[in-house]
Amino acid sequence: MIEVEKLSKQYGDVMAVDSVSFSVARGEVVGFLGPNGAGKTTTMRMLTGFLPPSDGTARIAGHDIFEASLEARRAVGYLPETPPLYPEMRVEDFLAYVAAIKDVPRRERDEKVSRAIERCALKDVRARVIGTLSKGFKQRVGLAQAIVHEPPVLILDEPTVGLDPIQIAEIRSLIGELASVDAEVRQTVVLSSHILAEVEAICDRVIMVNQGRKTVDAGIDELTRDGQSLEALFALQSTSDLGEIPNTTENPR
Amino acid sequence: MKHVHTVALRELRSLFVSPVAYGVLSLFAGLCGLFFVLYVAAFNAWMVQLQQFQAFDQLQELNLNDHLIAAFFDNVGMVLMFLVPGITMSLYVAEKNNGTEELLLTSPLTSWDIVLGKFAAGAGFVTLLVAMAGAYPGLLFFYGEPELGKTLSGLLGTLLVAWTYVAIGAFASSLTRSQVVSFLLCFVLLLVLMLLPAVSDLGMLGGGESLGAVFRWLSIGVHVQALVQGLVDTADLVYFAVMIGSFLLLTRLTVESVRWR
Repeated sequence: MIEVEKLSKQYGDVMAVDSVSFSVARGEVVGFLGPNGAGKTTTMRMLTGFLPPSDGTARIAGHDIFEASLEARRAVGYLPETPPLYPEMRVEDFLAYVAAIKDVPRRERDEKVSRAIERCALKDVRARVIGTLSKGFKQRVGLAQAIVHEPPVLILDEPTVGLDPIQIAEIRSLIGELASVDAEVRQTVVLSSHILAEVEAICDRVIMVNQGRKTVDAGIDELTRDGQSLEALFALQSTSDLGEIPNTTENPR
Repeated sequence: MKHVHTVALRELRSLFVSPVAYGVLSLFAGLCGLFFVLYVAAFNAWMVQLQQFQAFDQLQELNLNDHLIAAFFDNVGMVLMFLVPGITMSLYVAEKNNGTEELLLTSPLTSWDIVLGKFAAGAGFVTLLVAMAGAYPGLLFFYGEPELGKTLSGLLGTLLVAWTYVAIGAFASSLTRSQVVSFLLCFVLLLVLMLLPAVSDLGMLGGGESLGAVFRWLSIGVHVQALVQGLVDTADLVYFAVMIGSFLLLTRLTVESVRWR
């Protein structure tokens, strides 16, 4: 579903992302893990077509982000770090607008908007003005705008930030549902986080980045097999300067 | 470019839930009404004066179009110079502050969808303003006999001026993240456009005749004057098309530059 080839982004002399490659199969939920400033957001922005890579390329659902930019963008649902919301719009109007600009045909829009509202538990606030909603609801509207056109690929930048534990649990189970085999459109999810427990709870696989480089790419079960906790690995990755890396089995998927 | 209308309609809806739109609408209606009443009164006084002095030659020349409607449209243009930046200042600034810039640029929209959609929304709103302004000279048709053609070409001129201002304001808005800066930038650009002929007339330019001619061509007043006087010249229409087109192109460049910065 996602194939990333030597993706790099350079800001002046700083390599924000340095030749990162990985691929994600359909229905996989991959956690993008790393300390702040590791290049998670930059990588996601490049995958969604917001930023052009300095080098390398990526394919989303088979569409090259350069050559078939529009098709690639159509295949992605994206929740940026701060949910993109118009405070003066009503929830359902906003979602209908997003569905329209994501090329959802007019006759399917109402149905898809309703489904997104249901999935993100926004029924009670569907006619409310977004600016009056609480932070948790705003985050859920942000998630709803990412899934409203039911794209094959979801890219979520810290989807649970600022939510209370109950809401976090809800979002987690929602992400699990989206990627489950039973789902109508089985979605591939890449989410970033610096909460390890979260990644452990929802993801099948972890990609760790540090200082713009990929340091770990392995299944959760592989990583925790030796009784080593993700925390220890994370601390090691964040401090070590890409030295000896234990337990990095290349994931064959 | 199939989403121009989607972007434009959303923009218009957001504009009409903000107090800015209603503030601008009522301020504009009020100011236009005030200027209209003042000009009608001045016209009357002038007519009475000419009759008292029995200046029949001048009385013959006095007409509603040249001595009332033209001056009125001139003033409407001035009022628009202050109000259009208020409408356009948030066009792009709001997207950047809401974070929705990221939504727009990661959606399957082309840059033209965004640029033309936003321009269409602003142009639609000022068309409403100009239509309101047109109602005042419209009143004169009940009481006098202004020339319809001249009035309409004046209205067309005012509309084109308003659209040009919107294109410039949208460009100013695309350059910054602050509404205040966006407003001031647009206002300064409009002021420069207005003052260009004065600069060239003062003869302060070292460039001589040719530079002066360029400045006069660039200035908006010269072109709208012709239209207000009832001269619909292709050269003037081309001027407005060139101005609007170039500022839309510039806006597109700044919108795209987010991707390449």
